[in-house]
Amino acid sequence: MVEENAIVQLKKLSKRFDQDQDVLSDIDLEVKEGEFISFVGPSGCGKSTLLRMLAGLTSVSEGALLIDGATPTEPRDDLYLVFQEANLLPWARVRENVELPMKLQGKPKITRQAVADAIVELVGLQDAADRFPRQLSGGMKMRVSIARALSVSPRILLLDEPFGALDAITRNQLNEDLLKIREKDPFTAFFVTHSVAEAVFLSTRIVVLESNPGRIADIIDVPHSYPRTVEFRESPEYFDLLARTSKSLRQQKGESE
Amino acid sequence: MLAGEIIKHNKTGSLSEEQADNIRRVILPYPTEIWQATVQERSNLFPAAYNTLKAAIIGFLSAIGIGLGLAILLSSSKALKRSLYPWILVIQTIPIIILAPIIAIWLKQGAHSVAVVSFLISFFPIVANTTMGLTSTDKNLLELFAVSKASMLQEILFLRFPYALPHFLSGVKIAAVLAPIGAIAGDIFVGTSAGGQGGIGFLAILYKGDVNTPALYACAALACLMGFLFVGLVNYVQWLLLHNWHESSLDGEA
Repeated sequence: MVEENAIVQLKKLSKRFDQDQDVLSDIDLEVKEGEFISFVGPSGCGKSTLLRMLAGLTSVSEGALLIDGATPTEPRDDLYLVFQEANLLPWARVRENVELPMKLQGKPKITRQAVADAIVELVGLQDAADRFPRQLSGGMKMRVSIARALSVSPRILLLDEPFGALDAITRNQLNEDLLKIREKDPFTAFFVTHSVAEAVFLSTRIVVLESNPGRIADIIDVPHSYPRTVEFRESPEYFDLLARTSKSLRQQKGESE
Repeated sequence: MLAGEIIKHNKTGSLSEEQADNIRRVILPYPTEIWQATVQERSNLFPAAYNTLKAAIIGFLSAIGIGLGLAILLSSSKALKRSLYPWILVIQTIPIIILAPIIAIWLKQGAHSVAVVSFLISFFPIVANTTMGLTSTDKNLLELFAVSKASMLQEILFLRFPYALPHFLSGVKIAAVLAPIGAIAGDIFVGTSAGGQGGIGFLAILYKGDVNTPALYACAALACLMGFLFVGLVNYVQWLLLHNWHESSLDGEA
């Protein structure tokens, strides 16, 4: 992966909902194409808000948010968000859910079907393509949600605690699969999580945020190259990074949980 | 005469067995007597039922169409909702017994007015339920559509409508019960018997005059049958549309 151009730049970025209360303050971050950035921090530190700003769902209060060097004036086609919940249409089959973003973009049915077939297989749901969401387990629902996001081949993928509600085994499996998918279909990722382990396993960089107001407290590099396999999870390097990130997180003032 | 008095008279022997039975027949006929009356009066009952059914179907279908249209209007803007809703409520709160003469004056008595009464009685639940459904769309799904850059029209067609469907259908089910009732009440207040246009309500008044209780029960049975037919149809459509995905139609599987 070539990592040269900054795809996303955040400059003195701030967000406040009330006049005097900053949710995010002075966020400076430059992200290169192909990076995998994780945000960790105590609850209330504005991780999700940051992601929503990137997605264009909420406005910037101060500072600048640049994508490809320009402030996005309208929602971008090459950016997609994976929500905290799977957020599927209950009346639509798996395949139809995956096709939805393409349908909304007005792509012809033949293209939609071809792309959906390929992506459904990529996330390992080929046997469940004609099922309804209620017939799926939590992990499978999340796979559909990711498949849906990938259907528009986004350059930037925002993931808001996508695996938070899953059990540890399913979560690990999906972490590994997410990286495999990314090998085939590269994207720059912004990933919000509460799990330090997940952040270390997936990321090129981990951004530790403190709260009240949300600021960048620490940035931890994860130099280990991709593809990352299960062995990485058992390496001393991994445990080192785990300890460092946990320690950094512990030092942040925040609402105690 | 009350049933208690009959028994009293009977005990004192002032009523013959036959007289007592006649009175019993007026108050509570045997099912067999109701059946006999149905057969006897079939040349009156069935055309009347057909007329009522026709009015109820027209009233019901307009309630669905206009109710849905109003719900879309009400849910599209707060200002529209504030200005329209009170008037819908006004129509709904005036008892039909008062509204009916006004309709008769405006539209003249006749089958068309009967259909209007059926509509007026049945459209409100569709408006109220569908509006509720259209305005309670899951916030997360709305954001999904925002991230997907969906147009307003796409959002309505692919998200708000399907989301409101179960609400809409439960409104339609209430309307299905009310539409035949409205058609029968309308028959009494604004109907006409001219040219064989009389419905079940009209017949009921005749039978009441004749103290033909078994035939009145036959009218009641036909009215029930109509209601069951309407609700059964709506239940079937609901099953077709929802059984795959909606909680209300799940059969314990998965």
